[in-house]
Amino acid sequence: MDRARDRQRVSSARIHKGSFGNLRLLWLLVGPGILVMLGENDGPSMLSYAATGARYGVGFFIPFIILTFVMALVVQEMTVRLGAVTHRGHAEMIYDRFGPFWGRFSMIDLMIGNFLTLVTEFIAIRAGLGFFGIPPWAAVLGTLGVLYVALMTHRYWTWERITLAAAMFNLIFVPVALLAHPQWRSIGHALVYWSPLPGGVNKDMVLILLADIGATVTPWMLFFQQSATADKGLTPRDIRFGFTDTLVGALLAATAAVATVIAAAPLFAHHMSAENFQAAQFAEALQPFIGRWGAALFALGMFEAGMVACITISTASAYAFGEVSRQPHSLNLPMSQGKAFYGVLFLEAVAAAGLVLIPGLPLVSVVLVVNVIAVLAMPPALIFLYMLVNDREIMGDFVSPRWANILASLVVILLVGAGILYGISVIAPNLFALIGGN
Amino acid sequence: MSEAPKSDVDRVSAENSAWVMQSLEAGQLASARSKHYPRRPLKRSEAILFWGLRMYLLFMLGVVVYQVWTTAH
Repeated sequence: MDRARDRQRVSSARIHKGSFGNLRLLWLLVGPGILVMLGENDGPSMLSYAATGARYGVGFFIPFIILTFVMALVVQEMTVRLGAVTHRGHAEMIYDRFGPFWGRFSMIDLMIGNFLTLVTEFIAIRAGLGFFGIPPWAAVLGTLGVLYVALMTHRYWTWERITLAAAMFNLIFVPVALLAHPQWRSIGHALVYWSPLPGGVNKDMVLILLADIGATVTPWMLFFQQSATADKGLTPRDIRFGFTDTLVGALLAATAAVATVIAAAPLFAHHMSAENFQAAQFAEALQPFIGRWGAALFALGMFEAGMVACITISTASAYAFGEVSRQPHSLNLPMSQGKAFYGVLFLEAVAAAGLVLIPGLPLVSVVLVVNVIAVLAMPPALIFLYMLVNDREIMGDFVSPRWANILASLVVILLVGAGILYGISVIAPNLFALIGGN
Repeated sequence: MSEAPKSDVDRVSAENSAWVMQSLEAGQLASARSKHYPRRPLKRSEAILFWGLRMYLLFMLGVVVYQVWTTAH
């Protein structure tokens, strides 16, 4: 009923031609793309970007991060196409088309990856609010409260708009970057020449490279956007708007990511080691360069990044669980009909929240490891997506165009290549030196 | 275009049901969604690719564990 109501509004907007009609239609249809992109600018992602700026300054990594968002745009567009044509979630399609064996495999990958990522979101939340003197238990409980309020609307549209409004605060990193007095000339040079890369290619650089890819392209995004596209009720006529939605999301998220690198660059310029910094320590270290307000905004940004991702990632898990277990799965469901859906969503968040309250947990190591695992798990997930979106039996005339397939193949090759480079740097450092690393 | 029902009290009424069917695509209706897409048999090359990537993932996870272990010691 709720979805029908949403579709009626879309049909009404279609009747009104002209730029106002198109803008209204876009307003009604945007959501999953912006949410997935800003949701992926999560706690560990922002921490990776800050570590990048602090260790490498403004140079190679700025254009590289923009490239990772292009990669994300290519693969996320495929999920819109698939969700709008099949009206099914990603996990459900893998389960149906490739059978329970591969369906369960991809579901287990997703659940483990999401749980670990959720732990890192609560690390960011705890660290971000720690800057303001808020104790960890209060930070964690407050976030669970926000998650509960967002879910209790029992309406996809309301949930989406609340989460979108919260996600927009990701752009808080833009004023922080401006407070760092960026060298525009250096940024322009970096964008054109992809340099400098201080220290060259070495083991640490490969780790940051992988962490930055994992900060933009991860399996939960595929599951979330396809399921949200189906839950929102998008149809093949809306694919064009779904792409615009994803493009706008990618532009906003890339802006926030690059701003974070620029904001942390003063640490590089002043040769300050940020090797084991958490969010709050980044904010404290930056305070002499960007002032108390800038540092407070930075810490607030870390908290916001963790909180929004906490909402979207736990939702992605609940969608996948419902799709595979054949339980009702929609944010439009009342609690009585969606007990399993809301239960999985909330329990996963509570378990992750509880873990970060354990004293002595090596939080920074957990963040890095989780980002690396996300990159490694991406190629198997992408192959399922690639095959589904090229499956003429389910997609008909909406199969992925050739250019998108070529780009998606390049993304898989790049991800596998980065993973192999990381593997060589860890287990065979001598071989790594032979191929040009140091 | 018919007007959207104002309340949820009559969720199951015949009138509402007709309105929902008119608003949604056939594939979006609960009746259609309860049916599943048929299974697609995997070609040999596809099965090799799936297993290859699965092995890649397992091996690389081993590398991550090794790195965590060496860093911790």
